[in-house]
Amino acid sequence: MYDLQSFLRMLRFMAVGPFPDGSLGGVALNFSLAIISMTVGFFLGLFIALGRISKRKLISYPCMLFVELIRATPLLLIIFWFYFFIPNVLGRNVSIFFSAAVSISVYSAAYQSEIFRGAFQSISQGQVEAALSTGLQYFHIVIFILIPQTIKIMLPTFVSFFISLFKDTSVTYIIGIIELTQTGVIVSQRVPERLLVAYASVGIIYFVFCYFMSRYSIKIEKKMEKYKFK
Amino acid sequence: MIAQVYIELFRNIPTLQWMLFFYFVFPELLPGSISSVLNNYKHYNFIAAVLGIALSNAAYVAEILRSGIEAIPVSQVEAAISLGLSKFDRWRYIILPQTVRIIFPPLMTRMIHNLKNTSLALAVTVNEITWTTQQIESLTFRGIEVTTTATLFFVILNAIFATLANIVERVCFKERKLTPGKKCPEPSKSYV
Repeated sequence: MYDLQSFLRMLRFMAVGPFPDGSLGGVALNFSLAIISMTVGFFLGLFIALGRISKRKLISYPCMLFVELIRATPLLLIIFWFYFFIPNVLGRNVSIFFSAAVSISVYSAAYQSEIFRGAFQSISQGQVEAALSTGLQYFHIVIFILIPQTIKIMLPTFVSFFISLFKDTSVTYIIGIIELTQTGVIVSQRVPERLLVAYASVGIIYFVFCYFMSRYSIKIEKKMEKYKFK
Repeated sequence: MIAQVYIELFRNIPTLQWMLFFYFVFPELLPGSISSVLNNYKHYNFIAAVLGIALSNAAYVAEILRSGIEAIPVSQVEAAISLGLSKFDRWRYIILPQTVRIIFPPLMTRMIHNLKNTSLALAVTVNEITWTTQQIESLTFRGIEVTTTATLFFVILNAIFATLANIVERVCFKERKLTPGKKCPEPSKSYV
């Protein structure tokens, strides 16, 4: 039957994968992938959003093309694309973790640039013109005018995007990264009579993480209500 | 309460996980005779993929519907009650026509999202486009070309869907925006 010892061992495998003996895995890997791609995508997305609201068509059109292209493509295909593309460019093989991190970063950059763009457009053009007339540079306008006002209204959106990104990292299971879904499959293959336990624990781990993050995002949203301007 | 649990369960666990669940675990939970039929059925992987996408999509659509219905002011329903409309008539003539207009754009977004999610069916070996690209890649070792072609397919499909959705929205919904108080015809005076 399901003795406690092996159940705890299974949970440990799902939490960190074969960590002390091998590379990091399990839900810790999901989290690190999500955090890395969120951070890279944040800065990349900021620049893309600024490019997209630019008045020069030479800058805004390529940014628009990039965002629409990424948003129309499934994450899985982006992952495969970089999986084949990066070794061709660098001329040597890279780890699948690296290619997965790059592709999810690009994916999240496109989505976060849309969040940024929506928030920037909610600020009236008059403020930017006023800032220009007081002699601020473009860089200073972004740092001191646009971001401080928008970061508060964007925060709940970013948290909910992080949740969906965390769920999307499960796709990397298909290229063979030992993350949470993969650990569930491995456990169920090693001990076939515990199929249900393995899958149910994976589901519960996902549920617990995502549920509490979404509760948290609702809490922030309520807190940020008073900062909203119209 | 049950609906709440369903929505939270399906929104907080990835679609891929549900697909794997329906493919590997679900037949085991059923009694032996049914599970052996399912395991021997050749296209069960397709059914599992459809179940995974459909059930998790249902949770998102339920949320969209709820927000659409909640967007209609309570005073309208109260006005309908005071006019003597029955419950069916209230839904048929007051709530649903307006809700459809509100929820149409987010529903189309969900539709495109679903289209992209179908690529996950690769995990349960459904013979769809991403699976095909992998087959071709393993035969020809031309990964970039094949993946780019598949990407183009998705981009074109999504563009078609988005255009259709825009046309439907413009034709069906935009011109019939309710403008209260304006459409009310003047009482005819010719017979007086």
